[in-house]
Amino acid sequence: MTRYLLLFGLLIAALTGCRKEYDAPVPYTFSAATGAGRFSTSVRQAINGVYTVTDGSDVFGPQVVLKWTYIRNGADTSHHLSVYTSNVGYFDMEPQQQLNGLGVSGYWRRLQNTEIGLVQLTVNVRRNGVVSPFSGSLATGDTLVISGAYGNDGVLPSKKLTMTYTRPLNSRSFSILAHRAGGRTSDLLPASENSLEIIKMASRLGATGIEVDVRYTKDGIPILYHDNTLNLRLIQKNGLAGAIESYTYQQLATFVRLVNGEKIPTLEEALETVVNNTDLSFVWLDTKYVRSMTQVQSIQRTYMQRAKAAGRSLQIVIGLPSDEAVSLYRDLPEKADTPVLCELDTSIARSINANIWAPRWTLGDQSAEVDVMKAEGRSVFVWTLDEPQFIQEFIDRTRFDGILSNYPCVVAYYHYIQQ
Amino acid sequence: MISSGLPIRLTGLLTVGLLLAGLSVHAQRRQVSADSTAPRSSARRMRQPLPENHPRAIQPGVRRPGIYFPQAPIPGRWRYSIGAVFTTTPPELTEEIRVSVPAIDFNLQRGISKHWFINSRIQTQIVQSNVGIGVRYAAPITDRLFVSAGDDMHVWFGALQIKDVFDSQAHGMQNFPNVSVGYRFTRDIQATIKGEAIIDAYYKSQVGNLSIERNAIRYNGLAVTFAVEQPLYDKKHVTLGFRAAYSSFNWQLWSLYDTFDRNLFYPQLIFGFIL
Repeated sequence: MTRYLLLFGLLIAALTGCRKEYDAPVPYTFSAATGAGRFSTSVRQAINGVYTVTDGSDVFGPQVVLKWTYIRNGADTSHHLSVYTSNVGYFDMEPQQQLNGLGVSGYWRRLQNTEIGLVQLTVNVRRNGVVSPFSGSLATGDTLVISGAYGNDGVLPSKKLTMTYTRPLNSRSFSILAHRAGGRTSDLLPASENSLEIIKMASRLGATGIEVDVRYTKDGIPILYHDNTLNLRLIQKNGLAGAIESYTYQQLATFVRLVNGEKIPTLEEALETVVNNTDLSFVWLDTKYVRSMTQVQSIQRTYMQRAKAAGRSLQIVIGLPSDEAVSLYRDLPEKADTPVLCELDTSIARSINANIWAPRWTLGDQSAEVDVMKAEGRSVFVWTLDEPQFIQEFIDRTRFDGILSNYPCVVAYYHYIQQ
Repeated sequence: MISSGLPIRLTGLLTVGLLLAGLSVHAQRRQVSADSTAPRSSARRMRQPLPENHPRAIQPGVRRPGIYFPQAPIPGRWRYSIGAVFTTTPPELTEEIRVSVPAIDFNLQRGISKHWFINSRIQTQIVQSNVGIGVRYAAPITDRLFVSAGDDMHVWFGALQIKDVFDSQAHGMQNFPNVSVGYRFTRDIQATIKGEAIIDAYYKSQVGNLSIERNAIRYNGLAVTFAVEQPLYDKKHVTLGFRAAYSSFNWQLWSLYDTFDRNLFYPQLIFGFIL
């Protein structure tokens, strides 16, 4: 009997131990090239739009959104063409400078699973039924046709993909906010959550703003980190464990790397990146600490001033997710020029005169409350909404001003296709 | 209950349970061996029939109390158990927090013929419940080895009204085609391995006045259960089991609105009193 029991024990251990580790390595290496090549500003603007997918609709859906974004690095700018699909997918592509025509290449990914692959596209124009390479100017009746091929994983693209311009993007103002600066570690993105690298990537994922988690180190440096503890969900194995507040910033910078190899950034580094490298217009500093808010307030003010000086329209708000955080805010000696976002009920948001009210999405449309808060001049966001069908419902049927999501590409898709 | 590395803890608990079961068998064997005239080892080598009072001796056709063991109840008779199922949340969903969610587990079976029986199950956590009914065909292969095949249809539903957190409800239907293989080690100890496919048939969720619905039938994952059924005290029998489900959706975690299109690991510890 004992051997049978041992066998059962081994079977159970095998079952619990055979847990699959998912991975979605990006099969494309981006060039360090800057500029947009032949994609002039007017060409890029002409390409932005809603497209009908013919070849490839079985994988990417019948309709997609194409949008150019950019990253600044000093005086240089790198441009990327993103595609947002209805089935939680995105493309990240860069101009192919060596081509004579207008071409882009990069990779595509579905965020809900590990599907990923290469893609190569060229921009063409259909004029009087004839498709020819796009030279940069559109006449009346011309239609952009972006076509090429995609593949799976690292296999060279060979499956046909054709997208035909249908209409411009919805121009209504709407905040598409990326959770943890782009998405969770479990979304298997190429950069770790709450890292500088994912902040730079956020707009390519569809975001117009980001939410980041702020904690303090032992020596009082505000950093970006979500969990209470150092753990293998967020960092590479290094032997360190326990509360992140138990470590100094120097210790973290020396010994700890996030899952994709990045350093844990300070709040100042993160905001520096937002201001200097991105076109993001909103930053939500989620309060994960229980200590004075003065230092975060000071950093918030500094970077809002820097953004203003750089001609940027950037709003940085302190998120108040709990009664404790509201108390910390109330304790601030001076609250002018300190935009805050309140996640609690409307009475508390009103009592602290929060600029933004942000209830959980699981409370539903809350139409009456939303209307009242908006009438009082506050913006209203929901968090953290990932369910694609509900994202569509919230965009189509509610009056919220923005959605925080791990899938900003889905929010972008449903927002931009709205007519 | 919040803990880390719970699959290891579950394995540990089950191992302790199995060891206790083993000790119980061992004690029983010693007691019977004193009265037995045939040494066990030589009897096995010779493949001779075991003496009637040998602990491994079984009477063909006799039914022992069991819920998972693939043997139909006597036609017209009921068989039922009550217990608890502990499901551990996958880290992909609850991240640094590992939650073990207990649910009351009630099983009810009724024999409808020598081989066919109806199987029904209710799991509830008050705010969310799951009710299933199905039919199974069970047949012995040998005196000790039994198999069954069946299909269960489950309806689940949940509603959460929590100030500032939830105004949500959801319900759905899932289908579980299943096969079981059971082995009776002794007259009192039987073990079962059960495999199930998990197929989503319907899903509807509502938050406030917004609702979504999915009615496409799609494969959701699979589950394997190991269950041991044996006496505990005073001829009362228990089920001690472990279920490993690999699926992309688990009804107990509907309120987390998991959006992953990949299978996650949901370990479950099962304990039931067979009444």
